[in-house]
Amino acid sequence: MDNLDIPQTNASPAIRADWEAGLIAMQGDSYPENSFELFQPLIDWVEAYLAQPERPLRLELELLYLNTSSIRALMDILDLLEEAHRKGRQVSVRWSYDGANERVGELAAEFKEDCTFPFDIAAKV
Amino acid sequence: MTQTAPSLDIFALRETFNRERIMLCFNGPITATLIEEIGTALRKHMEGLQESPSAVSDVFSVYIEMTQNIRRYTQSRPALAMETASVFVSRDEDGRYVVSAGNVLEAADGEALLQRVEPLARLDKDGLKAAFKTQLRQPREALDGSAGLGLIDMARKASAPLQCSLRPLDGGRAFFSLRVVL
Repeated sequence: MDNLDIPQTNASPAIRADWEAGLIAMQGDSYPENSFELFQPLIDWVEAYLAQPERPLRLELELLYLNTSSIRALMDILDLLEEAHRKGRQVSVRWSYDGANERVGELAAEFKEDCTFPFDIAAKV
Repeated sequence: MTQTAPSLDIFALRETFNRERIMLCFNGPITATLIEEIGTALRKHMEGLQESPSAVSDVFSVYIEMTQNIRRYTQSRPALAMETASVFVSRDEDGRYVVSAGNVLEAADGEALLQRVEPLARLDKDGLKAAFKTQLRQPREALDGSAGLGLIDMARKASAPLQCSLRPLDGGRAFFSLRVVL
């Protein structure tokens, strides 16, 4: 599977997925009209990655504002990680954000409620 | 100086905007680019007023959900493609931010929308969170391209129940308006 490298725009985040490193990184705002279209390649990538045995997957997030359809797309991705985790796969999320922006921390915390794998929320001072 | 009264009294219109404490408004055909540009201007303006990042984020998010709902609806109804939308960001007498918008719909769609907004007023904070999480778990196939979360999300961010109204128009259409106080 190829790596993904989707450049950032005003309304959509930078999305990078590195197959060799087992790492997904996303930064920025996410409020495109077509969130499902934007995230589908990443959802496909995660499914393909998790279909191979053993290798761990790590998500490094620096997402800011997400519209509700982006929230839905991200939850679909986290659900894939949760399912893999329950089958014994090593997966983790680290979401870093500017501590002054409480709403990002609250959003991350709400995602974390539905995940049993390691999920760090790091407020930068 | 000419004293001819212009047919469109911009000064009077502006007075109305000022009286209603409207800080930003748009009336016309709405596009993805416009939503983005006005949204950026809204954020910058609020940051200039030294509003907290949370306040900026809440107003921006209600503005985005509202305008993207209108866009998605208009795109799903080709007969309404030429209809315009009206969007306002204002302050109420207590200084709270208010995001309101209105657009033309098929009358039946308007009734259905009222039925979706009204029950949200009966839910408290926890009830709204539960409704949001339930909707978040709806299967994709049932979604019709939209996550169906926008109204619940607006209600969660609002400091008062969402207010909406439907005004009948000719030709089986209606004008729907929604007001969210932050």
